[in-house]
Amino acid sequence: MRLPRFEYLRPSSLYECLELLEGSGHESRIMAGGTDFLVSLKQGVISPQKVISIRSVPELGSVSEDAEGNLQIGACANLSDLVKHSLVLKKLPALHDAISSVGSMHIRNMATIGGNLCLAPRCWYYNQSKQWRHAVEGCYRTGGKVCHAISGSKRCHAINSSDTAPMLIALGARVCLQKKDNKRWISLREFFRDDGRHHTVLEKGEMLTSVIIPCETGKDRSTFIKIQHRKGLDFAIGSIGASVKGNGRKKEISLIINSISSVPLFLAKAAETVMESGFNESAIGKAAEIARGETGAVTNLFTSAGYKRQIVEVLVKRALSSLKRK
Amino acid sequence: MKSIITLNVNGEVHEIAVNPWRTLVDVLREDLKLTGTKRACEQGACGVCTVIMDGKAILSCLALAVDCAGHSITTIESLGSSDGLHPLQQSFIDNGAVQCGFCTPGVIMTAKALLDENPNPDDTAIKEALAGTYCRCTGHIKTVEAVKKAVQAGREVK
Repeated sequence: MRLPRFEYLRPSSLYECLELLEGSGHESRIMAGGTDFLVSLKQGVISPQKVISIRSVPELGSVSEDAEGNLQIGACANLSDLVKHSLVLKKLPALHDAISSVGSMHIRNMATIGGNLCLAPRCWYYNQSKQWRHAVEGCYRTGGKVCHAISGSKRCHAINSSDTAPMLIALGARVCLQKKDNKRWISLREFFRDDGRHHTVLEKGEMLTSVIIPCETGKDRSTFIKIQHRKGLDFAIGSIGASVKGNGRKKEISLIINSISSVPLFLAKAAETVMESGFNESAIGKAAEIARGETGAVTNLFTSAGYKRQIVEVLVKRALSSLKRK
Repeated sequence: MKSIITLNVNGEVHEIAVNPWRTLVDVLREDLKLTGTKRACEQGACGVCTVIMDGKAILSCLALAVDCAGHSITTIESLGSSDGLHPLQQSFIDNGAVQCGFCTPGVIMTAKALLDENPNPDDTAIKEALAGTYCRCTGHIKTVEAVKKAVQAGREVK
Protein backbone atom coordinates (compact mmCIF):
# COMPACT_ATOMS: atom_id res chain seq x y z
CA MET A 1 0.00 0.00 0.00
CA ARG A 2 1.46 3.30 -1.05
CA LEU A 3 0.91 6.59 0.68
CA PRO A 4 -0.81 9.39 -1.21
CA ARG A 5 1.22 12.47 -2.06
CA PHE A 6 1.45 15.27 0.47
CA GLU A 7 3.63 18.18 1.42
CA TYR A 8 5.82 17.43 4.43
CA LEU A 9 6.51 20.03 7.08
CA ARG A 10 8.82 19.53 10.01
CA PRO A 11 8.77 22.41 12.50
CA SER A 12 11.66 22.59 14.93
CA SER A 13 9.87 24.54 17.65
CA LEU A 14 6.38 24.66 19.10
CA TYR A 15 5.91 28.25 17.94
CA GLU A 16 6.80 27.33 14.37
CA CYS A 17 4.47 24.33 14.58
CA LEU A 18 1.51 26.43 15.76
CA GLU A 19 2.24 29.00 13.07
CA LEU A 20 2.20 26.34 10.35
CA LEU A 21 -1.01 24.90 11.74
CA GLU A 22 -2.68 28.31 11.80
CA GLY A 23 -1.55 29.11 8.26
CA SER A 24 -2.62 25.86 6.64
CA GLY A 25 -5.96 25.26 8.37
CA HIS A 26 -7.98 22.25 7.26
CA GLU A 27 -5.52 21.21 4.55
CA SER A 28 -2.99 20.08 7.12
CA ARG A 29 -2.88 17.28 9.65
CA ILE A 30 -0.52 16.69 12.53
CA MET A 31 1.49 13.48 12.68
CA ALA A 32 3.24 12.37 15.86
CA GLY A 33 4.19 8.67 16.03
CA GLY A 34 2.34 7.90 12.80
CA THR A 35 1.28 4.38 13.82
CA ASP A 36 -2.41 5.14 13.37
CA PHE A 37 -2.19 8.21 11.14
CA LEU A 38 -0.19 6.56 8.35
CA VAL A 39 -2.57 3.59 8.26
CA SER A 40 -5.52 5.97 7.77
CA LEU A 41 -3.54 7.75 5.06
CA LYS A 42 -2.77 4.46 3.28
CA GLN A 43 -6.44 3.45 3.45
CA GLY A 44 -7.47 6.82 2.08
CA VAL A 45 -9.67 7.57 5.11
CA ILE A 46 -7.98 10.96 5.28
CA SER A 47 -6.07 12.76 2.54
CA PRO A 48 -4.47 15.95 3.84
CA GLN A 49 -2.45 18.15 1.51
CA LYS A 50 0.09 18.89 4.20
CA VAL A 51 1.47 16.69 6.96
CA ILE A 52 3.12 18.41 9.91
CA SER A 53 5.53 16.01 11.60
CA ILE A 54 5.91 17.05 15.24
CA ARG A 55 8.37 14.35 16.30
CA SER A 56 11.31 16.66 16.55
CA VAL A 57 9.58 19.53 18.37
CA PRO A 58 11.68 19.58 21.58
CA GLU A 59 9.01 21.23 23.79
CA LEU A 60 6.59 18.36 23.21
CA GLY A 61 8.76 15.48 24.39
CA SER A 62 9.35 16.36 28.02
CA VAL A 63 8.17 14.56 31.16
CA SER A 64 8.43 16.48 34.41
CA GLU A 65 7.08 16.83 37.92
CA ASP A 66 5.91 20.20 39.23
CA ALA A 67 6.23 21.58 42.76
CA GLU A 68 2.96 19.95 43.92
CA GLY A 69 4.03 16.59 42.56
CA ASN A 70 1.75 16.64 39.50
CA LEU A 71 3.12 14.86 36.48
CA GLN A 72 3.29 16.83 33.24
CA ILE A 73 3.78 14.85 30.04
CA GLY A 74 4.44 16.42 26.63
CA ALA A 75 2.15 15.29 23.81
CA CYS A 76 5.04 13.69 21.92
CA ALA A 77 6.37 11.66 24.86
CA ASN A 78 6.96 8.16 23.55
CA LEU A 79 4.88 5.33 25.07
CA SER A 80 7.84 2.95 25.58
CA ASP A 81 9.80 5.70 27.31
CA LEU A 82 6.80 6.45 29.55
CA VAL A 83 6.39 2.78 30.51
CA LYS A 84 9.98 2.81 31.77
CA HIS A 85 9.85 6.29 33.28
CA SER A 86 10.60 6.25 37.00
CA LEU A 87 7.90 8.83 37.82
CA VAL A 88 5.19 6.81 36.04
CA LEU A 89 6.36 3.56 37.63
CA LYS A 90 6.57 5.02 41.10
CA LYS A 91 3.54 7.30 41.20
CA LEU A 92 1.02 5.98 38.68
CA PRO A 93 1.25 2.19 38.31
CA ALA A 94 -2.25 2.00 36.80
CA LEU A 95 -1.25 4.46 34.07
CA HIS A 96 1.78 2.25 33.48
CA ASP A 97 -0.59 -0.71 32.93
CA ALA A 98 -2.75 1.32 30.55
CA ILE A 99 0.21 2.44 28.45
CA SER A 100 1.71 -1.09 28.41
CA SER A 101 -1.53 -2.42 26.97
CA VAL A 102 -1.34 -0.22 23.84
CA GLY A 103 -0.49 -2.12 20.64
CA SER A 104 2.75 -4.10 20.59
CA MET A 105 6.29 -3.25 21.66
CA HIS A 106 6.94 -2.02 18.11
CA ILE A 107 3.91 0.27 18.16
CA ARG A 108 4.77 1.64 21.62
CA ASN A 109 8.32 2.32 20.45
CA MET A 110 6.87 4.74 17.89
CA ALA A 111 3.55 5.96 19.33
CA THR A 112 3.03 8.96 21.60
CA ILE A 113 0.66 9.80 24.46
CA GLY A 114 -0.85 12.75 22.58
CA GLY A 115 -1.42 10.51 19.57
CA ASN A 116 -3.18 7.92 21.69
CA LEU A 117 -5.49 10.58 23.16
CA CYS A 118 -6.29 12.02 19.72
CA LEU A 119 -6.66 8.53 18.21
CA ALA A 120 -9.24 8.68 15.45
CA PRO A 121 -12.38 6.66 16.22
CA ARG A 122 -12.53 3.34 14.40
CA CYS A 123 -15.24 1.46 12.56
CA TRP A 124 -15.47 -1.91 10.79
CA TYR A 125 -16.70 -0.22 7.64
CA TYR A 126 -14.36 2.67 7.02
CA ASN A 127 -11.09 1.40 8.50
CA GLN A 128 -10.61 -0.70 5.38
CA SER A 129 -9.07 -0.24 1.98
CA LYS A 130 -10.60 2.23 -0.46
CA GLN A 131 -11.80 -0.61 -2.71
CA TRP A 132 -13.64 -2.21 0.21
CA ARG A 133 -15.37 1.05 1.10
CA HIS A 134 -16.34 1.76 -2.49
CA ALA A 135 -18.35 -1.44 -2.70
CA VAL A 136 -21.21 0.41 -0.99
CA GLU A 137 -22.18 4.07 -0.74
CA GLY A 138 -20.11 6.41 1.43
CA CYS A 139 -20.91 6.76 5.14
CA TYR A 140 -21.10 9.91 7.29
CA ARG A 141 -17.36 9.81 7.89
CA THR A 142 -16.52 9.41 4.21
CA GLY A 143 -18.84 12.07 2.84
CA GLY A 144 -22.07 10.08 2.53
CA LYS A 145 -25.38 10.04 4.39
CA VAL A 146 -25.58 6.57 5.93
CA CYS A 147 -23.99 4.65 8.78
CA HIS A 148 -23.01 1.10 7.82
CA ALA A 149 -22.34 0.06 11.40
CA ILE A 150 -25.88 0.84 12.55
CA SER A 151 -28.31 1.02 9.67
CA GLY A 152 -30.87 3.78 9.94
CA SER A 153 -28.69 5.83 12.26
CA LYS A 154 -28.52 9.58 11.73
CA ARG A 155 -24.88 9.87 12.78
CA CYS A 156 -21.51 8.14 12.70
CA HIS A 157 -20.97 5.45 15.35
CA ALA A 158 -17.23 4.89 15.11
CA ILE A 159 -15.64 3.72 18.34
CA ASN A 160 -13.04 5.51 20.44
CA SER A 161 -10.36 2.90 21.16
CA SER A 162 -7.83 4.89 23.17
CA ASP A 163 -6.50 2.89 26.13
CA THR A 164 -4.84 5.76 27.92
CA ALA A 165 -7.93 8.02 27.77
CA PRO A 166 -10.13 6.15 30.31
CA MET A 167 -7.23 5.82 32.75
CA LEU A 168 -6.17 9.45 32.43
CA ILE A 169 -9.75 10.68 32.84
CA ALA A 170 -10.13 8.53 35.97
CA LEU A 171 -6.92 10.06 37.30
CA GLY A 172 -8.37 13.54 36.73
CA ALA A 173 -5.93 14.54 33.99
CA ARG A 174 -6.12 17.89 32.24
CA VAL A 175 -4.89 18.64 28.74
CA CYS A 176 -3.33 21.77 27.29
CA LEU A 177 -4.70 22.86 23.92
CA GLN A 178 -2.69 25.46 22.09
CA LYS A 179 -3.23 27.75 19.14
CA LYS A 180 -0.82 30.31 17.79
CA ASP A 181 -2.18 33.03 20.05
CA ASN A 182 -4.19 31.12 22.60
CA LYS A 183 -3.62 28.47 25.21
CA ARG A 184 -6.30 26.72 27.28
CA TRP A 185 -6.39 23.95 29.83
CA ILE A 186 -9.42 21.72 29.94
CA SER A 187 -10.22 18.54 31.80
CA LEU A 188 -9.58 15.50 29.62
CA ARG A 189 -13.17 14.43 30.19
CA GLU A 190 -14.33 17.50 28.23
CA PHE A 191 -11.85 16.86 25.44
CA PHE A 192 -13.98 14.26 23.66
CA ARG A 193 -17.09 15.02 21.66
CA ASP A 194 -19.99 12.70 21.03
CA ASP A 195 -21.69 14.26 18.01
CA GLY A 196 -20.41 11.72 15.49
CA ARG A 197 -18.72 14.47 13.46
CA HIS A 198 -15.68 15.60 15.40
CA HIS A 199 -14.28 13.34 18.06
CA THR A 200 -12.45 16.05 20.01
CA VAL A 201 -13.08 19.71 20.86
CA LEU A 202 -9.90 20.78 19.02
CA GLU A 203 -10.59 23.86 16.94
CA LYS A 204 -9.06 24.88 13.64
CA GLY A 205 -5.35 25.53 14.10
CA GLU A 206 -5.35 24.04 17.59
CA MET A 207 -3.37 21.10 18.92
CA LEU A 208 -2.95 19.10 22.11
CA THR A 209 0.45 19.93 23.58
CA SER A 210 0.58 18.34 27.03
CA VAL A 211 -1.21 16.37 29.71
CA ILE A 212 -1.03 17.07 33.41
CA ILE A 213 -1.92 14.35 35.90
CA PRO A 214 -2.61 15.26 39.54
CA CYS A 215 -0.52 13.31 42.00
CA GLU A 216 -2.15 10.56 44.03
CA THR A 217 -1.99 11.17 47.75
CA GLY A 218 -2.56 9.13 50.88
CA LYS A 219 -5.01 6.35 50.22
CA ASP A 220 -5.70 7.26 46.58
CA ARG A 221 -5.56 4.22 44.34
CA SER A 222 -6.34 3.35 40.77
CA THR A 223 -6.56 0.44 38.39
CA PHE A 224 -6.76 -0.29 34.67
CA ILE A 225 -8.25 -3.35 32.96
CA LYS A 226 -8.52 -4.05 29.25
CA ILE A 227 -10.34 -6.88 27.53
CA GLN A 228 -9.23 -7.75 24.02
CA HIS A 229 -9.65 -10.64 21.60
CA ARG A 230 -6.03 -11.69 22.01
CA LYS A 231 -3.49 -10.64 24.57
CA GLY A 232 -1.06 -8.75 22.38
CA LEU A 233 -1.35 -6.14 19.66
CA ASP A 234 -5.08 -5.59 19.60
CA PHE A 235 -7.57 -2.84 20.22
CA ALA A 236 -9.80 -3.26 23.27
CA ILE A 237 -13.33 -4.68 23.20
CA GLY A 238 -13.67 -2.73 26.40
CA SER A 239 -11.29 -1.04 28.81
CA ILE A 240 -11.81 0.60 32.18
CA GLY A 241 -9.86 3.14 34.16
CA ALA A 242 -10.95 3.38 37.78
CA SER A 243 -9.76 5.44 40.72
CA VAL A 244 -10.60 6.17 44.33
CA LYS A 245 -9.60 9.52 45.77
CA GLY A 246 -9.83 10.42 49.41
CA ASN A 247 -11.07 8.23 52.19
CA GLY A 248 -14.11 7.51 54.33
CA ARG A 249 -17.16 9.65 53.63
CA LYS A 250 -15.31 12.04 51.35
CA LYS A 251 -14.31 9.21 49.06
CA GLU A 252 -14.69 9.88 45.35
CA ILE A 253 -14.79 7.05 42.86
CA SER A 254 -14.35 7.44 39.10
CA LEU A 255 -15.21 4.68 36.66
CA ILE A 256 -14.44 5.41 33.02
CA ILE A 257 -15.11 2.91 30.30
CA ASN A 258 -13.89 3.12 26.71
CA SER A 259 -13.89 1.23 23.40
CA ILE A 260 -17.64 0.59 23.50
CA SER A 261 -18.91 3.81 21.93
CA SER A 262 -17.75 7.11 20.40
CA VAL A 263 -16.42 8.59 23.64
CA PRO A 264 -15.02 7.41 26.96
CA LEU A 265 -18.04 7.03 29.27
CA PHE A 266 -18.31 8.19 32.84
CA LEU A 267 -20.25 5.65 34.93
CA ALA A 268 -21.62 8.06 37.52
CA LYS A 269 -24.48 5.98 38.95
CA ALA A 270 -22.38 2.85 39.35
CA ALA A 271 -19.66 4.83 41.14
CA GLU A 272 -22.28 6.45 43.39
CA THR A 273 -23.60 3.06 44.48
CA VAL A 274 -20.20 2.04 45.79
CA MET A 275 -19.57 5.47 47.30
CA GLU A 276 -22.79 5.14 49.32
CA SER A 277 -22.60 1.49 50.31
CA GLY A 278 -18.82 0.97 50.46
CA PHE A 279 -16.68 -1.71 48.85
CA ASN A 280 -18.68 -4.81 49.70
CA GLU A 281 -19.62 -7.71 47.46
CA SER A 282 -23.28 -6.80 47.12
CA ALA A 283 -22.57 -3.12 46.34
CA ILE A 284 -19.99 -4.11 43.73
CA GLY A 285 -22.47 -6.53 42.12
CA LYS A 286 -25.19 -3.88 42.14
CA ALA A 287 -22.86 -1.25 40.68
CA ALA A 288 -21.85 -3.58 37.87
CA GLU A 289 -25.50 -4.23 37.05
CA ILE A 290 -26.28 -0.51 37.05
CA ALA A 291 -23.25 0.16 34.83
CA ARG A 292 -24.67 -2.22 32.26
CA GLY A 293 -27.68 0.01 31.75
CA GLU A 294 -25.73 3.23 32.00
CA THR A 295 -23.80 2.84 28.77
CA GLY A 296 -24.74 3.60 25.23
CA ALA A 297 -22.88 0.62 23.78
CA VAL A 298 -23.13 0.23 20.01
CA THR A 299 -22.72 -2.74 17.70
CA ASN A 300 -19.46 -2.10 15.87
CA LEU A 301 -15.95 -3.54 15.60
CA PHE A 302 -16.69 -7.23 15.88
CA THR A 303 -18.91 -7.24 18.96
CA SER A 304 -22.60 -6.51 19.43
CA ALA A 305 -24.05 -3.91 21.77
CA GLY A 306 -25.36 -6.70 24.02
CA TYR A 307 -21.94 -8.27 24.27
CA LYS A 308 -20.39 -4.90 25.02
CA ARG A 309 -22.86 -4.34 27.86
CA GLN A 310 -21.82 -7.69 29.30
CA ILE A 311 -18.16 -6.59 29.00
CA VAL A 312 -19.03 -3.38 30.88
CA GLU A 313 -20.55 -5.38 33.74
CA VAL A 314 -17.51 -7.64 33.95
CA LEU A 315 -15.07 -4.73 33.76
CA VAL A 316 -16.83 -2.75 36.49
CA LYS A 317 -16.92 -5.80 38.76
CA ARG A 318 -13.24 -6.56 38.21
CA ALA A 319 -12.14 -2.95 38.58
CA LEU A 320 -14.05 -2.41 41.83
CA SER A 321 -12.81 -5.71 43.27
CA SER A 322 -9.27 -4.75 42.37
CA LEU A 323 -9.67 -1.33 44.03
CA LYS A 324 -11.10 -3.04 47.12
CA ARG A 325 -8.01 -5.24 47.40
CA LYS A 326 -5.49 -2.44 46.86
CA MET B 1 8.99 17.66 -3.60
CA LYS B 2 12.03 15.53 -2.94
CA SER B 3 14.31 16.31 -0.08
CA ILE B 4 17.87 15.16 0.40
CA ILE B 5 18.24 13.14 3.58
CA THR B 6 21.09 11.36 5.29
CA LEU B 7 20.27 7.84 6.39
CA ASN B 8 22.65 5.89 8.57
CA VAL B 9 21.92 2.25 7.78
CA ASN B 10 24.06 -0.53 9.30
CA GLY B 11 26.85 1.96 9.97
CA GLU B 12 26.95 3.19 6.39
CA VAL B 13 25.87 6.74 5.64
CA HIS B 14 23.70 7.21 2.56
CA GLU B 15 22.68 10.51 1.10
CA ILE B 16 19.49 10.08 -0.90
CA ALA B 17 16.75 12.16 -2.43
CA VAL B 18 13.30 10.95 -1.35
CA ASN B 19 9.72 12.08 -1.65
CA PRO B 20 8.13 12.68 1.77
CA TRP B 21 5.37 10.12 1.18
CA ARG B 22 7.81 7.22 0.97
CA THR B 23 8.10 4.91 3.96
CA LEU B 24 11.37 3.66 5.40
CA VAL B 25 10.76 0.10 4.15
CA ASP B 26 10.30 1.38 0.57
CA VAL B 27 13.53 3.36 0.69
CA LEU B 28 15.47 0.48 2.26
CA ARG B 29 14.25 -2.00 -0.34
CA GLU B 30 14.06 0.10 -3.48
CA ASP B 31 16.74 2.77 -3.10
CA LEU B 32 19.30 1.00 -0.93
CA LYS B 33 18.50 -2.48 -2.28
CA LEU B 34 18.41 -3.90 1.24
CA THR B 35 15.68 -6.40 0.46
CA GLY B 36 16.18 -8.41 3.65
CA THR B 37 13.49 -6.25 5.29
CA LYS B 38 10.14 -7.47 3.98
CA ARG B 39 6.86 -5.71 3.31
CA ALA B 40 3.75 -7.59 4.43
CA CYS B 41 0.61 -6.13 5.99
CA GLU B 42 1.89 -2.54 5.75
CA GLN B 43 -0.52 -1.52 8.50
CA GLY B 44 1.57 -2.20 11.58
CA ALA B 45 -0.13 -5.47 12.44
CA CYS B 46 2.47 -8.12 11.55
CA GLY B 47 5.95 -6.91 12.56
CA VAL B 48 7.54 -8.38 9.42
CA CYS B 49 9.14 -5.05 8.44
CA THR B 50 10.81 -4.54 11.85
CA VAL B 51 14.15 -2.73 11.85
CA ILE B 52 16.04 -1.25 14.78
CA MET B 53 16.22 2.53 15.02
CA ASP B 54 18.38 4.01 17.79
CA GLY B 55 18.19 0.73 19.69
CA LYS B 56 14.41 0.33 19.46
CA ALA B 57 12.48 -2.11 17.28
CA ILE B 58 10.24 -0.09 14.97
CA LEU B 59 7.95 -0.82 12.05
CA SER B 60 9.55 0.47 8.87
CA CYS B 61 6.19 0.42 7.04
CA LEU B 62 4.83 3.06 9.43
CA ALA B 63 7.81 5.40 9.48
CA LEU B 64 8.37 8.06 6.86
CA ALA B 65 11.91 7.91 5.50
CA VAL B 66 12.23 11.68 5.94
CA ASP B 67 11.42 11.29 9.65
CA CYS B 68 14.29 8.78 10.01
CA ALA B 69 16.95 11.20 8.73
CA GLY B 70 19.81 11.49 11.18
CA HIS B 71 18.84 8.36 13.13
CA SER B 72 20.83 5.17 13.20
CA ILE B 73 19.05 2.23 11.53
CA THR B 74 19.99 -1.45 11.75
CA THR B 75 18.52 -4.02 9.38
CA ILE B 76 18.79 -7.82 9.13
CA GLU B 77 21.68 -7.41 6.66
CA SER B 78 23.95 -6.31 9.52
CA LEU B 79 23.61 -9.67 11.25
CA GLY B 80 26.07 -12.48 10.54
CA SER B 81 28.86 -12.41 7.99
CA SER B 82 30.37 -14.65 5.35
CA ASP B 83 32.20 -16.44 8.18
CA GLY B 84 29.10 -17.43 10.03
CA LEU B 85 25.60 -16.66 11.15
CA HIS B 86 24.60 -14.48 14.04
CA PRO B 87 23.76 -16.63 17.13
CA LEU B 88 20.09 -15.66 16.87
CA GLN B 89 19.96 -16.67 13.21
CA GLN B 90 21.66 -19.99 14.06
CA SER B 91 19.27 -20.59 16.93
CA PHE B 92 16.26 -19.99 14.68
CA ILE B 93 17.57 -22.60 12.22
CA ASP B 94 18.53 -25.11 14.93
CA ASN B 95 15.14 -24.86 16.62
CA GLY B 96 13.00 -25.11 13.51
CA ALA B 97 11.75 -21.54 13.88
CA VAL B 98 12.16 -20.86 10.15
CA GLN B 99 9.82 -22.33 7.58
CA CYS B 100 8.99 -20.12 4.63
CA GLY B 101 11.24 -17.50 6.24
CA PHE B 102 9.30 -14.44 5.14
CA CYS B 103 8.62 -13.16 8.66
CA THR B 104 12.03 -14.26 10.00
CA PRO B 105 13.93 -10.97 9.45
CA GLY B 106 11.26 -9.11 11.43
CA VAL B 107 11.15 -11.66 14.24
CA ILE B 108 14.95 -11.79 14.53
CA MET B 109 15.29 -8.00 14.56
CA THR B 110 12.59 -7.84 17.26
CA ALA B 111 14.47 -10.45 19.31
CA LYS B 112 17.76 -8.62 18.77
CA ALA B 113 16.30 -5.33 20.00
CA LEU B 114 15.01 -7.14 23.08
CA LEU B 115 18.32 -8.87 23.82
CA ASP B 116 20.35 -5.71 23.22
CA GLU B 117 18.33 -4.03 25.94
CA ASN B 118 17.94 -7.01 28.25
CA PRO B 119 20.40 -9.88 27.67
CA ASN B 120 18.53 -12.17 30.08
CA PRO B 121 14.82 -11.76 29.39
CA ASP B 122 12.34 -14.09 31.09
CA ASP B 123 9.65 -15.96 29.16
CA THR B 124 7.10 -13.19 29.65
CA ALA B 125 9.44 -10.52 28.29
CA ILE B 126 10.23 -12.65 25.23
CA LYS B 127 6.55 -13.34 24.59
CA GLU B 128 5.61 -9.71 25.08
CA ALA B 129 8.24 -8.56 22.57
CA LEU B 130 7.38 -11.24 20.02
CA ALA B 131 3.64 -10.53 20.42
CA GLY B 132 4.16 -7.80 17.83
CA THR B 133 5.28 -10.29 15.18
CA TYR B 134 3.33 -12.82 13.15
CA CYS B 135 4.47 -16.13 11.78
CA ARG B 136 1.78 -17.97 9.86
CA CYS B 137 3.67 -21.20 9.16
CA THR B 138 6.04 -22.04 11.99
CA GLY B 139 3.70 -20.69 14.64
CA HIS B 140 4.87 -18.87 17.70
CA ILE B 141 6.06 -21.61 20.03
CA LYS B 142 9.21 -22.31 18.04
CA THR B 143 10.16 -18.67 17.59
CA VAL B 144 9.85 -18.09 21.34
CA GLU B 145 11.80 -21.31 21.90
CA ALA B 146 14.56 -20.18 19.52
CA VAL B 147 15.03 -16.90 21.38
CA LYS B 148 15.01 -18.72 24.74
CA LYS B 149 17.65 -21.18 23.55
CA ALA B 150 19.82 -18.34 22.24
CA VAL B 151 19.62 -16.73 25.67
CA GLN B 152 20.26 -20.01 27.52
CA ALA B 153 23.26 -20.86 25.40
CA GLY B 154 24.79 -17.74 26.88
CA ARG B 155 25.89 -16.80 23.45
CA GLU B 156 27.13 -13.37 22.89
CA VAL B 157 24.18 -11.75 21.20
CA LYS B 158 24.89 -8.46 19.62
